[in-house]
Amino acid sequence: MTSHVSAALAPGGDIPAPHIEYGQIMPILLVLGVAVAGVLVEAFVGRTWRYTVQVPLAFLGLAGGFAWTIVLGLRDETHAVAAEGALGVDGPTLFLQGTILILALVSLLLIADRGTGSFAAQAAALPGSEAEQRTTAAGIIQTEVFPLLMFAVGGMLIFPASNDLLTMFVGLEVMSLPLYLLCGLARRRRLLSQEAAVKYFLLGSFSSAFFLYGIALLYGYAGSVKLGDIAAEAGRDAGSETLLLGGIALLALGLLFKLGAVPFHMWKPDVYQGAPTPITALMASCTLVSAFGAMLRVFFVAFENLTWEWRPAMWGVSIITMIAGAVIAITQTDIKRMLAYSSIAHAGFLLTGVIATSREGLSSTLFYLAAYGFTTVGAFAVVTTVRDAGGEAGHLSRWAGLGKRSPLIAGVFAFFLLAFAGIPLTSGFTGKFAVFKAAVEADATPLVVVGVISSAIAAFFYVRVIVVMFFSEPEADGPTVVVSPATAAAVVLGLAATVVLGVLPQPVLDLAGHAATQMFVR
Amino acid sequence: MTGQEIVFALLGAVAVGSGIMVVTTRQLVHAALWLVLSFGALAGMYLVLTAEFVAWVQVLIYVGAIVVLLLFGIMLTRAPIGTAPDLDSGNRWIAAAVAVATAALLVTVVVMGFGDAKMPLEAGGGSAEALGSAVFRTWVLPFEVLSVLLLSALVGAIVLSRTDIGGARSRGKGD
Amino acid sequence: MSPLAAAPAADPTLQDFGKDPWWLIGGKVLVIFVFLVLTVLISMWVERRVIGRMQLRVGPNRHGPFGLLQGLADGVKLALKEDIVPRQVDKVVFVLAPILSAVPAFISFIIIPFGPNVSVFGHQTALQGTDLPVAVLLVLAMSSIGVYGIVLAGWSSMSPYSLLGGLRSSAQVISYEIAMGLSFVAVFLFAGSMSTSDIVAAQHDTWFAVLLFPSFVVYVITMMGESNRIPFDLPEGEGELVGGFHTEYSSLKFAMFFLAEYINLATLSALATTLFLGGWRAPAPISTVWAGANSGWWPVLWFMVKLWLFIFFFIWLRGSLPRVRYDQLMKLGWKILMPFSLGWILLVAAIRAFKNEGYDMQQITIVTVVVAAAILGGTILWEMLRGGEGEEGAAAEAGAAPADPFAGGFPVPPLDAPHYHGRTAGTGARAATIGTRSEEVTRGTH
Repeated sequence: MTSHVSAALAPGGDIPAPHIEYGQIMPILLVLGVAVAGVLVEAFVGRTWRYTVQVPLAFLGLAGGFAWTIVLGLRDETHAVAAEGALGVDGPTLFLQGTILILALVSLLLIADRGTGSFAAQAAALPGSEAEQRTTAAGIIQTEVFPLLMFAVGGMLIFPASNDLLTMFVGLEVMSLPLYLLCGLARRRRLLSQEAAVKYFLLGSFSSAFFLYGIALLYGYAGSVKLGDIAAEAGRDAGSETLLLGGIALLALGLLFKLGAVPFHMWKPDVYQGAPTPITALMASCTLVSAFGAMLRVFFVAFENLTWEWRPAMWGVSIITMIAGAVIAITQTDIKRMLAYSSIAHAGFLLTGVIATSREGLSSTLFYLAAYGFTTVGAFAVVTTVRDAGGEAGHLSRWAGLGKRSPLIAGVFAFFLLAFAGIPLTSGFTGKFAVFKAAVEADATPLVVVGVISSAIAAFFYVRVIVVMFFSEPEADGPTVVVSPATAAAVVLGLAATVVLGVLPQPVLDLAGHAATQMFVR
Repeated sequence: MTGQEIVFALLGAVAVGSGIMVVTTRQLVHAALWLVLSFGALAGMYLVLTAEFVAWVQVLIYVGAIVVLLLFGIMLTRAPIGTAPDLDSGNRWIAAAVAVATAALLVTVVVMGFGDAKMPLEAGGGSAEALGSAVFRTWVLPFEVLSVLLLSALVGAIVLSRTDIGGARSRGKGD
Repeated sequence: MSPLAAAPAADPTLQDFGKDPWWLIGGKVLVIFVFLVLTVLISMWVERRVIGRMQLRVGPNRHGPFGLLQGLADGVKLALKEDIVPRQVDKVVFVLAPILSAVPAFISFIIIPFGPNVSVFGHQTALQGTDLPVAVLLVLAMSSIGVYGIVLAGWSSMSPYSLLGGLRSSAQVISYEIAMGLSFVAVFLFAGSMSTSDIVAAQHDTWFAVLLFPSFVVYVITMMGESNRIPFDLPEGEGELVGGFHTEYSSLKFAMFFLAEYINLATLSALATTLFLGGWRAPAPISTVWAGANSGWWPVLWFMVKLWLFIFFFIWLRGSLPRVRYDQLMKLGWKILMPFSLGWILLVAAIRAFKNEGYDMQQITIVTVVVAAAILGGTILWEMLRGGEGEEGAAAEAGAAPADPFAGGFPVPPLDAPHYHGRTAGTGARAATIGTRSEEVTRGTH
């Protein structure tokens, strides 16, 4: 009785079902599905069992997604857009998604570590209140961290894969919102953590607004939010230049904020310092990879014909990012803040690869991202192990003489720092070499000169930390080193990757090169 | 000028005017009411542009839910009758300058970009059918991912606000 | 009925609207306005008479035949009362609130179909103010604007009773609006449209109250919540809040709130009739034996009968049900009605999708029933297992701290003994009972 009525009433007829390539976007679906399953676990599993259910679930989700990505990468198919053109599944995307998933797995090792207890027992309790003490004493763990983590990772997978700006914006928000929350959940120094969360949230929503504004202007220019359409419109040199340039500027601003490039870097030190260290590790590795992936896609696809317009500005941003990151880092006395500025400087190095806009630039940036991600996760894992009565010993002076107290941990950390500095036989050297080579080939030699100089400046403060650790007397009540198996595993993984990518980089370089051969689909 | 254009312009004036009143009025609740008027004028503009579904959803969601919740928040915390002197901020001139600059930029960009380009209004262009087929075909993935975003926001709100975790006694789980 | 001759025209659809001459539009609006005012007057009288009957009283019977003019007399009295505006209130908002409450209530009725196409002075037109592709959304939007009247009245009165009443009422209306919107979704799915005339047209065979019975049940519950009437009249629970949000209002402003309440009653009833009871269509036995029942001016009669049955149902409820507690009300809205509606929509949508794919309806029904039974059984089993655990825990807790029956050397009953009215415990026991009760209530409101 209803069928003929609805047929008669709907003038356009039935809406045909959209065609979704489930196989191609399965990693994303898997991770988001596990996140939703995690929410169900929170709702239906008893408090005592939640942790034991959540952790394997999250591990399985990330590992499954990673395995599926590898399978997708092994099949030699022509890459194509998926899900009604919303996502591009191509070589660079798969490489980035694989990198994000494996780095998230390593971060999960840190997050799931109960021994270090980085997360607040009850986020809603006032810092220092009785309720907080009671929940802490009861040994309660806020297991909502795991679904939030999976949501964030899902967003990170979508962000660099999105083939249109709307999907990209949604991916950006799915990635950012859980991270804002996770930043405020540190167990120690709650006020600092909450301040970091609020700061990140406010500045992040500001940058999202700019991003959205840019999308609006570009839509006005091209009449479409698809990256390919924007490129085609720009190639025809039609439409209004003003809209286009305004759009590029605002879009780039939103992306550069997520990377933490100077002058949009203000949030990074505060947030990295305040957030629970496992979350800092996640942000320093996965978020950076994801944001650079999106940056690459936008600049390589949508603005490919406009290099003359955006290159000068990006040159400037890259140069001040490298220099400011390296110079300000010298004055830092907190380990996590120092690593944050180091991350800013590395964002500058990575930008030189983006500016190259060549196949080599793409592949070298991909390699650098993977190498840097592993090193930084390992470094933050080490930071979680050096503890005193108040939690992690953040201040640099507390690390004095660590080499005598715990030579192994200090040695590992020193190695990570050398990798950041780009000493040969570490992955940092290979990455920087690849990126700078691509930049030189793309006639950006001045950039490379600046890069080398700021690398030298950066090396100064890395070496300073090594000196403090090995060549000064330990304090009497200095911090102790507590290494639990999960953290140790994370450190070992980071170390292994840093060594292997430094000594035998060719397979991964080939992989990145292979991923970059077809460039991005559109 | 056709009648449609006149109505559109008038509604635009109402939206902008009430928007200015939102930030200049010294009474908190009045600011919320001006906001309602602004949203209502926007809904009217959607109607003029034949987007009926969007217009009524705008009334339903923004006017009917969001501002009511805002009012709710104001009333549960503090809602003085009369002017509230602390609604004014020393930064008002800077804020005004930023706002004017943003508006000028936007207007310039839009005028330069579109000039007097015109697009014909089609009847039913903004109907529920057209919107549905756009959302559930072309934009199905972002749309579904948005639901995930809302879910994560929901989880986050619970994490940040629930204080009865591990209270003295654990009550029923569904509680 | 010579100028208003009935014409056997096709049922009105969306395309038939927007073609009326100006005098017809004006006439329709006027008729609807008069109809609403009359409905309010009559339903006030009906309510008082019916409730009187239910309580074995007579009810008002002095003014006019059977006291029919009582409503009019009350109206005149209200209008002639002194109009008090408390000092220090926000005057603009105080005056705006009743207007915001009454005006949207009138607007909603414009999309309610009273009947099919008829001929008025030679013009073929539908007996309906107008129709939109999204007409039902208009009703929801108007009821959400009506909330402002309540919130602002509560706030601007400078009275704690009013403020609490306003807050309660708006929270309640918003909560129930969501469940109400969800109960419409299944109707939209089956009618394939959101316009009221199309929805009535889609019910020419089976009423949606039969086809979508769960939606109908949810709607009837939510409409009681929306209308702020017993058993959900917490906003003006006179035992707690004097008059709720309109405590400080008098004279014509109070009359406006009164008007809005009764018009909302009529609107909700009319909407229920339109969406679920076939609108103006004649009920089954009549339409089967008499083909002309669904044409001409007769449908207005069927519509009125259904409308008044609903209003009577409202009054009947008021006569028989007690008021619920506020936390129970919110729990019902958020934890029962909404999840239930969502599950039901999922089911309906799945069945529609299978049907569109061309599966056999019988098979679908069997599978659905089996799956639903399995889920229900599983839930019951789960609840039983969980309930057992809970009781064990409670038992263990009770065992851990047994009450000492001779504390202080005297036989003392346990403090939490229910319904204990003995003398021994004295004030202590009573205070404890009061304490637990208030704890329950505060917990519930959060």
